[in-house]
Amino acid sequence: MRLRYLSLLPLLALAACKPTAQEIKIGVSAPTTGSISATGQSAKNAIALVQDEINAGGGVKVGDKQVKVRFIIEDDEDKPESAATVFQKLINQDKVLAIVGSYTSKCSNAGAPIAEAAGIPVVSPWSTNPNVTKGRKFIFRACFIDPFQGKVVAQFATGKLKAKTGAVVYDVASDYNKGIAEVFRDEFTKMGGKIVGFETYNTKDTDFSAQLTKIKGSNPDVLFLPNYFNEVPLQLQQARKLGLNAVVLGADGWDNPELVKLGGKVMDGAYFSNHYSPDVDAPIAKTFIAKYTTRFGIVPDAAAALTYDSANLILKAVATAGKADSKAIRDALAATSGFPGVTGSITYGGSGDPVKGAVVIKVENGKFVFDSAVNP
Amino acid sequence: MDTIIQQLFNAAQLGAVYALIALGYSMVYGIIRLINFAHGDIFMVGGFVGLLLTTRLGWLPFYLLMPLAMILTALAGVAVERVAYRRLRNAQRMSVVITTLGVGIFLENFVRLTVGPETRQIPARLPSAPVHWLQQNLGAFVTWDKLLIILISLALMAVLWLVVNRTLIGTAMRAVADNKDVVPLMGVNLNLIITVTFAIGSALAAAGGIFYGQAYSIDPYMGIDLGWKAFIAAVIGGIGSIEGAVLGSFLLAGVEVITVAYLSSNLKNGIAFGLLILLLLVWPWGIMGKPTLKKV
Repeated sequence: MRLRYLSLLPLLALAACKPTAQEIKIGVSAPTTGSISATGQSAKNAIALVQDEINAGGGVKVGDKQVKVRFIIEDDEDKPESAATVFQKLINQDKVLAIVGSYTSKCSNAGAPIAEAAGIPVVSPWSTNPNVTKGRKFIFRACFIDPFQGKVVAQFATGKLKAKTGAVVYDVASDYNKGIAEVFRDEFTKMGGKIVGFETYNTKDTDFSAQLTKIKGSNPDVLFLPNYFNEVPLQLQQARKLGLNAVVLGADGWDNPELVKLGGKVMDGAYFSNHYSPDVDAPIAKTFIAKYTTRFGIVPDAAAALTYDSANLILKAVATAGKADSKAIRDALAATSGFPGVTGSITYGGSGDPVKGAVVIKVENGKFVFDSAVNP
Repeated sequence: MDTIIQQLFNAAQLGAVYALIALGYSMVYGIIRLINFAHGDIFMVGGFVGLLLTTRLGWLPFYLLMPLAMILTALAGVAVERVAYRRLRNAQRMSVVITTLGVGIFLENFVRLTVGPETRQIPARLPSAPVHWLQQNLGAFVTWDKLLIILISLALMAVLWLVVNRTLIGTAMRAVADNKDVVPLMGVNLNLIITVTFAIGSALAAAGGIFYGQAYSIDPYMGIDLGWKAFIAAVIGGIGSIEGAVLGSFLLAGVEVITVAYLSSNLKNGIAFGLLILLLLVWPWGIMGKPTLKKV
């Protein structure tokens, strides 16, 4: 090829990238690679579902026009520093109207200040740490928060399991794990239980035997592991191999098929709190689960269901606002009341945290089985 | 209930894995004064070779599977030396160190792309029932796989000691370590000795990787943190010394486990490494290391 033709290439590229005016762009920051890439995959699936559903009907109604919607998914690798870069790219380069994300609380805490400063509304599907929305006007979430979740688990332990003593092993370098561990400790103590072990480790540690052996010495009734699904099976395996036989409890970070794939039989008999259960009866959840299962061949986990709800919350807010303007979308989001989500009804009562219930799930023969529902 | 004996077994298992990695660092440094930062990733590769063999050749008994994985990983270690380090043997030291870092990053990403980034576990091939005798007599709940991992590791270290101190090739290795410029003039094939050193170091690291993947878990990036710890253990023990690498490894694992058991898991790394810095202040060359004076 002659050189002068080469110089035309950038122009061609620009032409190809130029967005059509009739399009609304929404960013997604999800961990599609890295240690919890399985969660990122759930996010991608749910977003693909939302995008096809809305565009099949001509798009979202903005004022008196139907506008197509395009979701731009970026990988934050479950690293706070990458999440910050992704938020910056989505806002400054892609000029998105709103963002779905990020997933883990540590990533949301890195991305949220950037969106807040830029005035771009964010709905995080899966970040349950209270600080994510605290003091911020543009940050919302579709899930409950850790203080509620920690209380649900503590209630379950002291109530149904009649536990008197409990121990916790958690990742001290992760906002989510640390927050929920501390709430559980306080609530469990308030409800008359005694915390006999409160041990930490650092993200990526793989040997937990010293902490678990120490806990074994105090022989607790329940062992709470508020950590992510890629670590919990290994922790539980090591616990059992050390002769620690307490009933094991967890939180929504467990909810991924990888948990039983990695852990197998060792996970049986454990309980965890979650945002929703595929066994729920609501018609909207049934439709979503059926569609998702047919298309992707697996039952959606909570991250998928919450992503679906988050994206639809934003689309509804765009329609309510009636214009493609971030500030108007934010105001419409804040006024959301009784939004019928897959994971329950969502209402924002003056903050970015919705008021909604939780479920407790039991692991039985490698399957997640609904155990009980808890309402705030 | 007192769990100290159980904690000692935890420390011994961790220390055994550290030692299997640390030996490779120490031997290579001893022979060619090279700190091979890719060694932690060879350990990781060993773990994944073990995983692939266990899942693909499940019918192979463990006592054949492990040597096979060690041989394959040894070939990988030798290939790395042949392709990336040999040409740089007389280059300035910084170039080689940077090359070792590059090889490490290559190995991490190669495994991530071909196998995937997820955390995995090598399906258990060692019995995981508790050792009855220890439970009855010492009140310690220790499973057979943990005991076997410790014993096999110690046996491998003993074999290494015999090879280095009681065989012709071992004598040649020690001679090269003493002076790599003069010894080749006596008819010792320097390249062969270096190849053998990389092969032995990589095979031991592979054994560590297989044990680690069974006792804990493996992922493509595990070699970074564990490589550092093993390297530090080798330095504490006195880099270049085989006995030192083993001693440093068990010491580091012991301090880590005892800190968690009796002080706080929050302070694990802080106290462990603080103590080790103190140790180095007392023995700047490591516990078993020999001070080397630069000849002018």
